[in-house]
Amino acid sequence: MKETLLLTKHMRENPEDSHLIDSYEKNGGYETARRTLINGSPENVLEEIKASNIRGRGGAGFPTGVKWGFLAENEDRYLVINADESEPGTFKDRILLERDPHQLIEGIIITCFAANIKNAFIYIRGEYAKPARRVQDAVEQAYQKGYLGKNIFNSEMNLDLVVHLGAGAYICGEETALLNSLEGRRGEPRLKPPYFPAVKGLYMKPTLVNNVETISSVPWIVENTGKEYNKLGVEGSTGTRIFSLSGHVNNPGNYEIEMGSSFGEFVESLGNGIRNNKKVKAYIPGGASAPWFRGDQLDIKMTIDDVANNNSMLGSGAVVMMDEDTNLVNAAKSIVSFFAHESCGQCTPCREGTTWLEMILDRVASGRGRASDIDLLLDVCDNISPGLSWPPKMTTICPLGPSAVSPITSLMNDFREEVESLIPTKVLL
Amino acid sequence: MSENIKINVNGNQIESTPNKLLIEACEDSGIHIPRFCWHKRLDPVGMCRMCLVEIETPRGKMLVPSCTTEVTDEMVVDTESEVVKKAQEGVLEFLLINHPLDCPICDKAGECPLQDQTMAYGPGESRFVEEKRHFEKPISISEIILLDRERCILCARCTRFSDEISGDPLIEFIQRGNKTEVNTFPNEPFKSYFSGNTVQICPVGALTSTSYRFKARPWDLKSVRSTCNGCPVGCSTELNSSQNKMLRILGVDNDSVNQGWLCDKGRYNFEYLNSEFRLKNPLKKIDNELKETSVKEIYTELSELISDRNTNINFLIGTNSTNEDYVAFNEFAKNFPTTNQTFYLNDDYLYAGFFEQDINRATIDDLNNSEAIVIWAEDLKENLPVLYLRVRQAVKNGVKLIVFGHSNSTLEDIADFYYSEDIVSENFEIIKDISKLKGIKEHVKDKNVTAIIGKSTPYQLDEYLDKLVSYLVENSNSKIMNAFSSGNTFGAINNLDNVKNLRDFTKNVSSENTDLLFIVGSDPIGRSVFSNEIHRIIEDIDNVVCLDLFLHETSELCNYIIPTSSTLGEKEGTFTNIEFRTSRIDKLVPSPGQSLSDWEFISGLSNFCNFINNIDSLDGLNELAYQDFDNQDSPSFKNLDKPSNFDGIINDYQPNVSTMPNETITSQYFVGKKLYGDNITIRYSDSISLLGAKQFIEASESTIEKLNLSSGECTLKQNGHQVSANYVVNNKLADGVIFIPQNRRNFNRFDFSETIEISPNQSKEALNVN
Amino acid sequence: MSWNDSMIKQAKKIIKMYPQKRSAIGPLLHLAQSKDGYISDDSIAVISELVGITEVQVKSVSTFYSMYKQEPTGKYLLSVCKSISCEINNSKEIIDVVKDFTGLNNNETDENDLFTFEAVECIGACGGAPAMQINYETVEGLSSENTIKLCEWLKEEQPDVIIAEEMQDNFGGTKSFDWAIKDQSGTTGSVPGFQTFNTTKEKK
Repeated sequence: MKETLLLTKHMRENPEDSHLIDSYEKNGGYETARRTLINGSPENVLEEIKASNIRGRGGAGFPTGVKWGFLAENEDRYLVINADESEPGTFKDRILLERDPHQLIEGIIITCFAANIKNAFIYIRGEYAKPARRVQDAVEQAYQKGYLGKNIFNSEMNLDLVVHLGAGAYICGEETALLNSLEGRRGEPRLKPPYFPAVKGLYMKPTLVNNVETISSVPWIVENTGKEYNKLGVEGSTGTRIFSLSGHVNNPGNYEIEMGSSFGEFVESLGNGIRNNKKVKAYIPGGASAPWFRGDQLDIKMTIDDVANNNSMLGSGAVVMMDEDTNLVNAAKSIVSFFAHESCGQCTPCREGTTWLEMILDRVASGRGRASDIDLLLDVCDNISPGLSWPPKMTTICPLGPSAVSPITSLMNDFREEVESLIPTKVLL
Repeated sequence: MSENIKINVNGNQIESTPNKLLIEACEDSGIHIPRFCWHKRLDPVGMCRMCLVEIETPRGKMLVPSCTTEVTDEMVVDTESEVVKKAQEGVLEFLLINHPLDCPICDKAGECPLQDQTMAYGPGESRFVEEKRHFEKPISISEIILLDRERCILCARCTRFSDEISGDPLIEFIQRGNKTEVNTFPNEPFKSYFSGNTVQICPVGALTSTSYRFKARPWDLKSVRSTCNGCPVGCSTELNSSQNKMLRILGVDNDSVNQGWLCDKGRYNFEYLNSEFRLKNPLKKIDNELKETSVKEIYTELSELISDRNTNINFLIGTNSTNEDYVAFNEFAKNFPTTNQTFYLNDDYLYAGFFEQDINRATIDDLNNSEAIVIWAEDLKENLPVLYLRVRQAVKNGVKLIVFGHSNSTLEDIADFYYSEDIVSENFEIIKDISKLKGIKEHVKDKNVTAIIGKSTPYQLDEYLDKLVSYLVENSNSKIMNAFSSGNTFGAINNLDNVKNLRDFTKNVSSENTDLLFIVGSDPIGRSVFSNEIHRIIEDIDNVVCLDLFLHETSELCNYIIPTSSTLGEKEGTFTNIEFRTSRIDKLVPSPGQSLSDWEFISGLSNFCNFINNIDSLDGLNELAYQDFDNQDSPSFKNLDKPSNFDGIINDYQPNVSTMPNETITSQYFVGKKLYGDNITIRYSDSISLLGAKQFIEASESTIEKLNLSSGECTLKQNGHQVSANYVVNNKLADGVIFIPQNRRNFNRFDFSETIEISPNQSKEALNVN
Repeated sequence: MSWNDSMIKQAKKIIKMYPQKRSAIGPLLHLAQSKDGYISDDSIAVISELVGITEVQVKSVSTFYSMYKQEPTGKYLLSVCKSISCEINNSKEIIDVVKDFTGLNNNETDENDLFTFEAVECIGACGGAPAMQINYETVEGLSSENTIKLCEWLKEEQPDVIIAEEMQDNFGGTKSFDWAIKDQSGTTGSVPGFQTFNTTKEKK
């Protein structure tokens, strides 16, 4: 199995200076944007994006062309790049920001051209200081060259781009929470309806919110046509995708591959197998929010639809391998703690429920569980995500609450004995 | 009007209108959906998740919050399915896991939505064995509000109210997730004029009032619906008492008027009713000393005095009486042939107003229905607080706001146009051509406009206002609201035949033309800008009868003092508000000692004088008040007591106010009233007594520099009278404008038409040097 | 105002970057933190005035985000990741090592104001688990031994500029990906090193 390098090609070939504008331009960078702005039309760009069938790389997998098509007419419209990568297991935007910021900026220029946008923001999580510095340098270089600001490439187009740092809140990866945060508010998700960003987004104006990887793909798609992009991967999961592989593998890392091969193949070849030749006990196919697969499910294909059909999600493309020695109760507890810590607190089931789950799991993990705790865990989960089905139903405003349910249902469905074994059979009085 | 749509709820078809929220549509049809965060008057946030219901969608049944979901035609809704019930029980359990079990000592218990819904939908037992979240209990977040964060369920009603409605977001969510709490900023108390509303809408006992803490149980309370007589907005209230003591006032949701809100003065200014300083027995001045006497003795002496009916009598009448009281005085006065019995209303700001035929009167609701609002009046936030909220609401709904300075500087932030010193002089004159102002050209000319017009300061010349009103009447489709700001002013001018103001009093009244002066519920010496002149006049007049609740600077000068019942809770009658909307005043508690209603006293006096007594019953007075009205529309008790008229009935009676135009006396200061002041009732209401105690002046930073002030304190001096005061920086005030609140202790003795020397506070300055 | 002129100037520059003033709160809070090491009530008052909202509204925002510290931090903020990839790669051990070395529990600062310790959620270094950040500069592929060495180095050298590359070369191990670029800029305080906040410097 081999990688297919579209987004990571330039950085691989120019490891020392891929972040600099000279290097980027030497390898044909900004040419697509220049040509598009001078000779192209917004309609054509949108057509190419639609033809590529690219789906958003942030986690939800919504078709990008359709999203752009929803953007409401208005004098003021905004583009916000979601670089708040915080889903545990995920570090693929980090490499794009650190090592090829100009590719993202070029994508932004083309996107804004297509959507007639004059103000764009890159919202980078605060902990990504180094990536943010690189992007800020790149933005300054682009301004100096006249690729941002007024009359870009001597065209009619004006575009201002601001790099905005977050400050430690996973929930800001949710697009409406991100917009609140960018407006200087608490990063609490907004209600949908009525606050669909494409209609009422930043400052209540139509706003496109796209992931770093998605927009970094735009130059390639426009340069090589959507049709070519659509040929890569498989139907429903076209193009390449950068998977972040971590956990008990020999070679963790970011790998850009066409979607369609199996998780097992991916781990064996690019990941070079599980450390110490151990077996996989369970793995997470798409970030901490995703329900787990068992070690005997490694033949599932790495496509959005295949993973969904197996009651999980490809999400942010973060694959975490857990070997046979892993204490899965601790693993689940870690994930539940994460969501409890990151709950914004505005809706009751998430605020109270995630913390309660964390408390119960903590009790169970440390051998202080009660026989009734398994039912209690499942029932609390059910009160956050009724029916415990997939895709999850929710009593919450946003999917963060149900995300805390995923590891628990995974644990209970497939590894129940492991939980039960931790509960003392007799309670000493 | 939009077409009705049909939705199916629990198998039954109900009608609704498009875009209505599902929770409201259901409520309209008698289907109650439990909720905590949703409040009819606040933007929905869908946070508590208690109101989840199932709707049918192309992808199957979906759980949605009914408070954020708008109804659509043919929508199929289930509010009682197993899934819904499970979700609601789950939410309740989540809310309860960290809620303390202190219901037995909680003020909210018995009227607590959380308690009630736990009874109705809650789990029978607790599955939560961990330790609950702890916070210090309760903390004081202002002089009048306490916060218990353990009880809080984070519904965001208080934070939304203060942000959306009152516009003073001083209470907010702090921290996040499971650690989220509501709180204020250290050293920045919840000093809102509207904070009591947050207590009322708090669905648990997290926010409580100091005045009501541990005072009563809801099931012990007696209550009546009434109307607040604190200012002419006339908010609908519910009065609560226990053991014949007034304990609490709540806002009632009168859609046309206050929409459930009250200002804190209206809500908390009631404790004086139980004050030990209330007058209980009639007093008579003998040898300069007040001695207890009987009403009968006073009647006898007064009736002798006025037996020949040629006595020259005058009335200085307050705005705290009911319409029926005013009718009684008016009828009583008719017994005298002299032409000079005039009712001088206890108001520095009263002027003829704009009531002519060619002027359309505005209702409060017109604010929402116009294209622009023009305001030039006293500070609405300080004087007509709930009208201020309604202006904010209209602006939020997209109505343009044009404000002329300098009195409503608090509205500058939300005004589309705020005209300050370039356009309005320090003397409150518009010094530019009105027709050329941008805001006027764009939003007023030929548009539907509601204007709130009144004197910004007692010294503003009438002609300045005339100019603006003439422009509006001639150039726009305007409606005018006369912004008089004292109590039942509109009831007084509705029911008294000849009304003048305090300035007229000082010009017209003297011992030479007045044998007998009645002072009714007024303390002009304590709070009028004409205090010194009035003091001299009253002292001069031989016979002064006063009807009041307390001894104060004015009443203590009188020869006869009659203790009266308070219009707040101790009387029945009617009140007429700023839109000429008349509504019920009701009685809940007895008045102390030998107190009488104003009309009872005057009716008794009529008897002693052998006048034809047509004022001997409340019902009779009420009928007299509205005898000229069409019976259907008259705000008679009978009509007002119909549920459809609880919110009041508007009349179009044209009052006779004939004040002398103020042509001469001006002031170099901006004199105005603050919500809380040194009024006698506030002084005796413990919870709020300190709120109006601070003596201060206000000016912009540069004005303060010009005055050479730097230590935070200054001294005001005039003719040997001297008051030490703080100065407050208010950069919204135009340069050169110095605001002096008139309702501050000892400020009444200044003559604001003359220069007051404002100098640095010597002793403090000296201290600073060291 | 308790901010000096140059900070006010920087603040006004930041405010100008945004269509609406309030958007600047985030960066202004970072700026405030670069001055004090935490968000002081004083700074909140300044920001509230600059942006035109109430103090408690600023506080409401600042306390929502975990990077805006409510208590003063030490010169070095040691943030050890405990999220899933690190958790299954023994982050507990790294946490214990740092706790032992500093004698600190979660969210505590030592007497000398040198170290503040915190166990944090995912820092996006999952491929290099276990990982940590020192003043938001990442070190990946930690071992217990190297973590102690790193702490000792910080304690002894007390570098004014913290640079990820330098720490990674000396104390790190497996990386999430090839860092490739030899960039030598880092942070000058317990805040993200970033141009807009004037908190980044190159090592000479």
